[in-house]
Amino acid sequence: MARKSWMYAVLEAVQHEMRQSKDMTWLFELTPPVASTPGRPVINLEKEFGRTRVVNTGIDEMWYAGATLGAGLAGVTAITYIPYQGNCMCFQMIQNHAGKLHHMTGGDAVAQVVFILEMTGQTPGFAGQHSDYEIDTYYAHIPGVKTVIPSTPADAKGMMVSAIRDPNPVVYLYPAGLRDQMEEVPDDQYTTPLDKAAIRATGSDITIVGSGGGMPEVMKATEALQKQGVKVETIDLRSLKPMDTETLVKSVQKTKRLLTVDQSYYTLCPGAEVIARVAENVEGARFKRIAFPDAPPPASPEMFLYMRPNADHVVAAAKKLIG
Amino acid sequence: MTDTKTTSPSKPQGAPALSTTRRTFLKGVAGAGAAISLGATLARAQGEIGFWAKDLPNDKLVEMYSTILRIRWHERTMVDRMASDPNYRGYNHFYAGQEAVAVGVCSTLRNTGRFDEVDLIFSTHRPTGHAIAKGIDLKRMAAENDFRATGLNKGYAAEMHISDKSIGFMGADGMIGPGPVIATGAAFGIRARGSKQVVVNFGGDGTYATPGFHSSLNNAALLKLPFVYVLENNLYHQYAHYSLSCPMKDIADAARTYRIPGVVVDGQDVFQVYNVAKEAVERARAGQGPTLIEAKTYRYYNHWGAPGVKAGQLGAFGYDPLAITSFRPEREVRAWMQRDPVDICRNTLINWGVLDKAKSESIEEQVKKEVKEAFEWADKQPLCKPEDGLKNVFVEGSVPARQLA
Repeated sequence: MARKSWMYAVLEAVQHEMRQSKDMTWLFELTPPVASTPGRPVINLEKEFGRTRVVNTGIDEMWYAGATLGAGLAGVTAITYIPYQGNCMCFQMIQNHAGKLHHMTGGDAVAQVVFILEMTGQTPGFAGQHSDYEIDTYYAHIPGVKTVIPSTPADAKGMMVSAIRDPNPVVYLYPAGLRDQMEEVPDDQYTTPLDKAAIRATGSDITIVGSGGGMPEVMKATEALQKQGVKVETIDLRSLKPMDTETLVKSVQKTKRLLTVDQSYYTLCPGAEVIARVAENVEGARFKRIAFPDAPPPASPEMFLYMRPNADHVVAAAKKLIG
Repeated sequence: MTDTKTTSPSKPQGAPALSTTRRTFLKGVAGAGAAISLGATLARAQGEIGFWAKDLPNDKLVEMYSTILRIRWHERTMVDRMASDPNYRGYNHFYAGQEAVAVGVCSTLRNTGRFDEVDLIFSTHRPTGHAIAKGIDLKRMAAENDFRATGLNKGYAAEMHISDKSIGFMGADGMIGPGPVIATGAAFGIRARGSKQVVVNFGGDGTYATPGFHSSLNNAALLKLPFVYVLENNLYHQYAHYSLSCPMKDIADAARTYRIPGVVVDGQDVFQVYNVAKEAVERARAGQGPTLIEAKTYRYYNHWGAPGVKAGQLGAFGYDPLAITSFRPEREVRAWMQRDPVDICRNTLINWGVLDKAKSESIEEQVKKEVKEAFEWADKQPLCKPEDGLKNVFVEGSVPARQLA
């Protein structure tokens, strides 16, 4: 057990799995698979496993995703790391190929692969293409691909192990805004399920649901509301597909109030799906969702920070819902 | 603007057009006693300073020198602000070291006129050099890069998305790959309109591996579009050496695949860049199709921002934490700085008798003053109104504030 960063925890999981395998591969665009954390050995997959198994070429996300899928179809477990600049350029390979092949071939084609898609750090100042946070919505829509979005280093490790061992293609979203997080992460290999939401706080007044890069602000709001005497039940989705409907429904059956929070654009954000599933199953509940407006993020920090849902927005929305 | 001479030789299909246009031109100048050797590899810049630039009037040559300096001092001033002023919020992917490419190319283009007259350039995530070479307003760009409401793009863009279509600067782009494809579409539109404009796409060595590189050249060649692809090979895309993404030493060799001229040029020498760009742009304007120009160049700063810089010092040296494992050797940076585009331009013009040392220095002082005033003006500009972020999504109206319940 040691305090580890998000990426250290992930690479520790991958390193362990690669050591158990003769051929498992890692394809990376631009960002080398290297991580360090105080008091622990540096992980460098390229150095340890060599350029036959760990490789980068040029800037071509379609190739990375397609090659990862192809390796998987040929029976070699493969992972690719695609930085946020190109996390939609590989969409076709995942949506029209990875997600459909098993079904289209009547179960013949199998690809045990993981697409790590970095999401932006949502850093103010970088404008539309480098501050956006939207692909959770796009990838969660695809059938035949599991789409997960861990929000803590410990979940990142456990869910990476599960993703590698899962026989299906997995889109593993990495909100880069979480890269500075540090927490205690077990050294041993362990799995965290790819189909279970995590209840981060237990309460009976209101259910607040968030995911990924939005969780730090959701947790801040949770604490603020708790201090004001509101009994908040906070759920971290962790998996967008499959979505853990049972946990969501059980919670709202108790609280009768559901607030969803997304960094993604309002229209079709994950919260819209959460509300739909709960509404189908819970009588007499009230709903509210907040999300990034249906606008590309502007460069100006003044405009951007006004638009991005933060803890204050969450608290205000929760109070409005409680009435 | 500079397009005084139009050559329209009937080029045999598949033959390298540059040699054709150059020969045609030579026929014209031979009688005037111009002594120019016709090398065997005409599509290559062999280190000689060509004739097009030598024929330019003095004021044009001085303007090119001033523009190189304007870029250099814009970059240096901004680097210094990043390095020394914790309250300064602007950033850049700095272009210093590559100035001769932008200025050499844009000096061959029409940079003023109506929107259906001006030549268009599509830029990259490293755009400020291209923008200045095209004639952008320094003050408003400085304000934009510092997120001001009165900036060039009202604070929505910042460095990676600055644009000003009134001068044909179609904008920066933070992505690698889509830019050239979009640029060929602009060329396609222009040809349909019949407006005789030329589209230049700037891209780095990183674009070679992208599908967009091949798609743009293939389609531009098939449709004979008025398109020039200027590939600035500064050896690194982000932190990766281009040998990781391209199996060829000269990326310009890729042009053969598409049966279009491919030219390698010394990107540190503005006059050599001018010479090859002039031919490519004329060829495009004459309806003879695209050219791929590979400018061998180098950036003095790291991929992004100001790691390794010191205020007042040109260039970035030492550790860049963002590079993770791949570092540029310091000696490589210093070796390239020996062939500085500012020095080469200045020395050439002094050698040609266009400038003397004193004049060259007074021009530099004037440029420094102009840049300083631009940043001072930008500092006084108002910040954006938060709720304005909901505007400009569509041409009309604004979108609801969904972050609020």
